[in-house]
Amino acid sequence: MPRSPGEERIPPRIRRRTALLGGAAAVGAATLAAGCSRTGAEAAPSIPEGAATGTPADGGVLRIARPPASQAETLDPADSLSAYEYLGALYNRLVRMDEDGEAVPDLATEWEPDDEGSTWTFRLRDGVEFHDGTRFTSADAAYTLRRILDPDLASPQATVLSPLLSPEGVHTPEPGVLRVELDAPNFEFPALLSNYHCYVVPDGSGDSIGETGIGTGPFRLEDFSPGGRGRVVAYDGHWEGRPVLDAIEMFAMTDIQARTNALLAGQVDLLSQTNLDFATARVVAASGNATIARSVNAQWYVLPMLTTAEPFTDSRVRRAMKLAYDPVHLLEVALQGTGVVGEDNPVPPDTPYWTDHTLERDPDRARALLSEAGHDGLQVDLYTSTYDPVFTPMALAYRDSVADAGIDVRVRNASADSYYTQVWMQQPLMATYWYTGRPADQLLNQIFRTGSSYNETAWSDPDFDDLLDSARGTADEDRRRRLYQEAQRLVVEEGGAMTPMFADRLVGLSREVLNYRESGFEFDYLNIGLRP
Amino acid sequence: MLLYTCRRLASAVLTVLLSAVLVFAAVQLLPGDVATQVLGQDATPEAVAALRDQMDLNRPAVVRFLEWIAGAARGDFGLSPVSGEPVADTLWPHLRNTMLIAVSTVAVAVTASVVLGVVAGLYRDRWPDTIISTLTLIGMSVPEFVMATLLVLLLSITVPVLPAVVLDEATAPVADLLPAVVLPTIALSVVMTAYIVRMTRTSVIDVMAGEFVTTARLKGISTPRVVVRHALPSALLPTLNVIAMNVAWLVGGVAVVENVFNYPGIGQLMLESVHNRDLPVLQAIAVISALVYVLCNLAADLGAMALNPRLRTGGGSRR
Repeated sequence: MPRSPGEERIPPRIRRRTALLGGAAAVGAATLAAGCSRTGAEAAPSIPEGAATGTPADGGVLRIARPPASQAETLDPADSLSAYEYLGALYNRLVRMDEDGEAVPDLATEWEPDDEGSTWTFRLRDGVEFHDGTRFTSADAAYTLRRILDPDLASPQATVLSPLLSPEGVHTPEPGVLRVELDAPNFEFPALLSNYHCYVVPDGSGDSIGETGIGTGPFRLEDFSPGGRGRVVAYDGHWEGRPVLDAIEMFAMTDIQARTNALLAGQVDLLSQTNLDFATARVVAASGNATIARSVNAQWYVLPMLTTAEPFTDSRVRRAMKLAYDPVHLLEVALQGTGVVGEDNPVPPDTPYWTDHTLERDPDRARALLSEAGHDGLQVDLYTSTYDPVFTPMALAYRDSVADAGIDVRVRNASADSYYTQVWMQQPLMATYWYTGRPADQLLNQIFRTGSSYNETAWSDPDFDDLLDSARGTADEDRRRRLYQEAQRLVVEEGGAMTPMFADRLVGLSREVLNYRESGFEFDYLNIGLRP
Repeated sequence: MLLYTCRRLASAVLTVLLSAVLVFAAVQLLPGDVATQVLGQDATPEAVAALRDQMDLNRPAVVRFLEWIAGAARGDFGLSPVSGEPVADTLWPHLRNTMLIAVSTVAVAVTASVVLGVVAGLYRDRWPDTIISTLTLIGMSVPEFVMATLLVLLLSITVPVLPAVVLDEATAPVADLLPAVVLPTIALSVVMTAYIVRMTRTSVIDVMAGEFVTTARLKGISTPRVVVRHALPSALLPTLNVIAMNVAWLVGGVAVVENVFNYPGIGQLMLESVHNRDLPVLQAIAVISALVYVLCNLAADLGAMALNPRLRTGGGSRR
């Protein structure tokens, strides 16, 4: 049979396509647009600081592009696969967190502990109705809380709350009062209810809440398809008043480039959960119909040293690794200045319990400590991946920064797909990040306490654990703050986590959008609107 | 003739079966398993074990493969462990959408490139040939995602006449998807055209130098008539295979372009199911792509045989 000569040429072409598949999407419109719109001599445009504010038009529809979720995604706030963007629009919590990191009223108007701090009484807001017209009472609040504690549901927030209380400890003495008896004193308990898995759902709605999305929030559900598109519309009966917008539409887009193109072409107004890289952000900021807003200190970057693995079992080596590097250099190189230095403390600067305790950079002291520990000319592997665009620049900047102290860091690239299953908490040294927005107590207990499942450095210090326990049991606010600060000093001095910096998230949004406000896990759905 | 057709069919079936085995084996080797992926990082070991059990992941791979292939033959690709829905329900709308791009691309690319190829062949080494050859070679050399991005920049952002991305779901009516088909079609056509143009050009040059064309010319037939009636049918014959390979590639290999446009086709579904470790969906896509590939080749071979009198009547025995 005849074989055409053309056929021999085809296989290499197909191989090329397959090989390009991975990296292809990341480059793209931004790079090209940059090449086309810049004339060369012109300097790169700067990245704006804040979002536009003002009096928005009444009504309007906001279109949000979001990363795709699996088709197992649900509107159940307690579930680990909850559809994050919908939660704040549909529901309220008892307690929310303000921009300074303080717990402030949401559906609970006030709360007070007994003298030991082991029983908390929450007074609930009166006259609040769910989207289906039923009254919100303490029964709903109690149901929500007991449900999170249900081991069958396996809610992520259960890992935080289960050690503190049991479902039997949740009482409803009056429709407007919720009483919670804790297993041990805890003066920080209300802040733990500000987590985004703690949104209040109607009593007994567990089987249907994943599809119905019935809450007390500013928007009610009109349409939702898991992992796909959906729409929420203004809820006229919302207790804070009607939201500015008439509706919010959500679209799922896999590719960051596709999301950016949709924004530039005016098909969507906001990119959620999308941290644009610097090149793309500059192109977006320079475009006519879109711009950039920063969600300040949205994530912190970490180089966790596994304290159970050589050579980091020795606290002198950990100290040397911290003394040897310059966080300012990492901030400049990896974040191009869009953030602040971390000083090895993961508690965000200027939040209520933050301490300014730092280790001054000292490469000579680092060298001496290594020598003392018998690790002259220390060689370590530092793992990174394309999972996040900042990991590799951060790793390389760290390598260059510690060379002065005679530390030889080899940067190793691992597959992004299995990075969090094969490298995180497995390799002695790697690059990773966390979202901010956790109260200090939850952060320190979840990530640094002995035996916690998120303790990525496997650090164990009984003094630290004791400090957290006594802080929780201390009624006096000032004394409590000092105890949490003391705990942070231990993290900085002894712990395994190097925290070089906090990064702003670069959020792409239309120039039509007004009053975009997002910090931590808080998004202002009530006041966001479009230009008149 | 019949014997040849049967042999060709048998080898096609064998190829599809082999690819099914390879796909199944490859998927087993992916790092991480679906249970961990579905439950996320917060999953407890007990929950993972329970889900593994529930999804039958603890049974031998061979048994699971045999059950799966038996179902697949009936069009039943099982349930997706991620969505809990039958795989086929997700697959068909996406396949339909990809076919929409594939069919329009083939129509545009084949028509355009055959015409261009004939012109280039007739004006061999003169300016029309130079221009056509240069442009199509450039088109072939630019990766399709760059082409797609350039088109978005031009026709969606600078002059906003066409949508940059598709906002519709996979199940949207065809009419809603039509505006979104234009840009992917252009991007893919540009990449595909060069191959067919080169092939057509070569064949036209060969055929036009042939004795039967000279005879036709000597009989006083006009050039257009010689080309359309005598040269083109012979010239198209070798081009057929190139076209078939390109069609097959379209169905399996449009992943990049679909993702640039957020187009809800097979390519996008494939990427998503890789991320979610949705193995049944992934396997179904791979096998269907293999099937399309094999069918296109089969059609090209049988088509070539039907068009070629020498093959049709039992090989070159008369010569």
